[in-house]
Amino acid sequence: MSNLLAARAQMGTSLAFHIIFAALGVGLPLLMCIAEGLALKYRDPNWMLLTRRWAKAAAILFAIGAVSGTILSFELGLLWPTYTKFAGSVVGLPFALEGFAFFLEAIFLGLYLYGWDKLSPRAHWLCSFPIWISGLASAWFIVSVNSWMNTPAGFVFKHGQVVDINPWQAMLNPSTPYETIHMMLSCYVATGFGVAAVYAFAMLRGKRSDYYWKALRLALAMGAIAIPLQIISGDANARFLFSAQPAKLAAMEGVFHTTSGAPLTIGGWADPATGQVYYAIEIPHGLSFLATGDPNATVKGLDAFPRNDWPIIEATHFSFDAMVGCGFFALFIGLLFWLFAWRKKRAWQENRWMLIGIMLAGLFSFAAIEFGWMVTEFGRQPWVIVGYLRTADAVTTAPGLNISFLLFSLVYLLLSYALIRLLLRLARSPFPPIKLPWSDVPFEGGPQKAGV
Amino acid sequence: MSIALIALCILWLALIAYAVLGGADFGAGIWDLFAVGRRRHRQRQLINQAIGPVWEANHVWLIFLIVGLFTVFPSAFAEFCIALFVPLTIVLVGIVLRGAAFIFRTHELDVTNRVADLWSRIFSITSLITPFFLGASAAAVASGQLVVSNGTAQTDFGSAWFSPFAVTIGLMAVSLCASLAAVYLTLEASLAHEPDLAESYRMRALIAGAITALLGALGLLLSPRFAPQLWDGIFARALPVVIATMLIGLATAALLFWRRYRLARIMIILETAFLLGSWGLSQYPYLIPPHVTIDNAANDPNVILALVISIAIGMALLLPSLYYLFSVFKFSIPVPGAARGEEEKEKATEG
Repeated sequence: MSNLLAARAQMGTSLAFHIIFAALGVGLPLLMCIAEGLALKYRDPNWMLLTRRWAKAAAILFAIGAVSGTILSFELGLLWPTYTKFAGSVVGLPFALEGFAFFLEAIFLGLYLYGWDKLSPRAHWLCSFPIWISGLASAWFIVSVNSWMNTPAGFVFKHGQVVDINPWQAMLNPSTPYETIHMMLSCYVATGFGVAAVYAFAMLRGKRSDYYWKALRLALAMGAIAIPLQIISGDANARFLFSAQPAKLAAMEGVFHTTSGAPLTIGGWADPATGQVYYAIEIPHGLSFLATGDPNATVKGLDAFPRNDWPIIEATHFSFDAMVGCGFFALFIGLLFWLFAWRKKRAWQENRWMLIGIMLAGLFSFAAIEFGWMVTEFGRQPWVIVGYLRTADAVTTAPGLNISFLLFSLVYLLLSYALIRLLLRLARSPFPPIKLPWSDVPFEGGPQKAGV
Repeated sequence: MSIALIALCILWLALIAYAVLGGADFGAGIWDLFAVGRRRHRQRQLINQAIGPVWEANHVWLIFLIVGLFTVFPSAFAEFCIALFVPLTIVLVGIVLRGAAFIFRTHELDVTNRVADLWSRIFSITSLITPFFLGASAAAVASGQLVVSNGTAQTDFGSAWFSPFAVTIGLMAVSLCASLAAVYLTLEASLAHEPDLAESYRMRALIAGAITALLGALGLLLSPRFAPQLWDGIFARALPVVIATMLIGLATAALLFWRRYRLARIMIILETAFLLGSWGLSQYPYLIPPHVTIDNAANDPNVILALVISIAIGMALLLPSLYYLFSVFKFSIPVPGAARGEEEKEKATEG
């Protein structure tokens, strides 16, 4: 493997690993905050047990998120020093602000996870707010950097030098509103459906008490509110790309030739060698209509760009369609569940196939995040900073990146194995007695049949 | 005073914060390795209680340092990363496994089993390796041997970061972390009414402190040969601070000897701050001697100013939060929102 490929493989693996924990780090604290609030308001032991369980899982997940995020912050420099030199001078600011957000998150997480007996119930609950707010802020800051890499702004490039830097303008570059909102919503979609999947699985195994039902509904409420917004945001992103990054849009949609009244190409395999998309379903005028509102509008194809500026088309098109497919599946499941709720068909909500669907939606929501991230990364190639720095020119001169890739792959395998083992043990462990804030007697015996 | 220098001073304070907080967490991991015999379980519990609530926040100082460094000195950061590729990769793996191992073993500890023991081992070993390579990397930078050929960085395979000087400083970093942790744990054990544990940590703090002092002296002796520019810098600017560091070190030992644990904690924090301060002063105005200086590596002043303003605003949120965190878990200072103690509760019901 060449040094460049090894560096890309290591960076890609690191991002794919970290993004799962990043998404949970944004979504899970909001679930805990709501659940604890409900527990305190209704004096309901089941809500409190759920909060406690989630907090325990969060302690493990967040630690892995913190260390895997550290890997990324080091890798920016270790693998891509030329990129860091360029980006550091222009978009160091959002990185630093993200650092502050992460700091606040870590501080209040420490208070939250270890403060059950040290803080009053209300103070403890209040500590959950800075966690989810700063988690959200972290996502915003870090994705604003990725937005900048797609639509660089806030500097002038003169004689090989970066001058006239305006860090605020760089942070608020044209892509920022589109990309950051899409990422933040994806965290709620994935956490919502992901957590629901865990409880759907438990219910399939016959655990049908009020505790599981509460968890399922809260998680699905979060997912189902976020997913329609996410699809609207995705549409806005595509329209934005039509004007801001036409090469990326062309790769996503598999458009090789500039066409007016371009069809929407769903699925299939985009082959850059032949300039064809094989085995795809085409909806006439679909793409022109979605991208501009005018069914006859002209969409730039890849032929409008020099061949050596083409993104990685196969992967971008495939990832894009996979992301959209996963997203619509989650939308369907979320709508169906709440439609049944509205029609008061609890039996249908708890139906075996509904629960299987929820499990799949959980898996697919996380897959959608991974695919979406691949769309933005593959679609930005061959650039790391579009128009200014090619990925091939950004890689380090340090030798032996193969070894480094191998080493970190082993670390990720080890962490994944240990994490899954520990989370399964946690899920199977009996409920420990807890102290309920409104009672002096320790609460034992786990979930109650119905809310008290 | 240029804005770059102001920013560098802020980063240096962050480095001190990371050393006295994050360093002590590494130190706790080192002592975990020495937790043997009957008291093993209690020792490990004390370590878990001591670092559990704070280690993630302490770790963020490092992230803050990294992003600060590459915002203020982007070109110097790129050179650090190329030249120190090998030790920094080891540091990174160490940090990752340390954090993960700590959380895995904490959640396995309720059932003593082999997996928990294995993670404890990994936790300790990585706690030992990481500060060693951090210290050795710092020594490599200070030595002036890291980026020599006309200022273009090449990956170094040990000639700078594995010289006798760098190894000495690496070991000194390890023993400093161990001393910090031992002093903190002495106090925490004595507050938890565990006099035996407090005594054993007091002993360890004294031994680790003595080793740190010896290695520091050895480092000084080696520096004329391996880090000549640093040696000259000490005599040009840093001598008073170096002497102060030594005196504070002696005071720490004396306070430990007289069992004044709270004061000893303050003193060892000061000692670390002075130690790092003397390094900074000796190396001034170089970031990577002998080519890269504060001025020639500094970013656009506008960007640095934006960063400094953001840091000021960020600190206004951060410092009260940190104060709250440490008040609740470390200082037992009454703060709003703290749970009422059992005694108070009894009084309330009686009343």
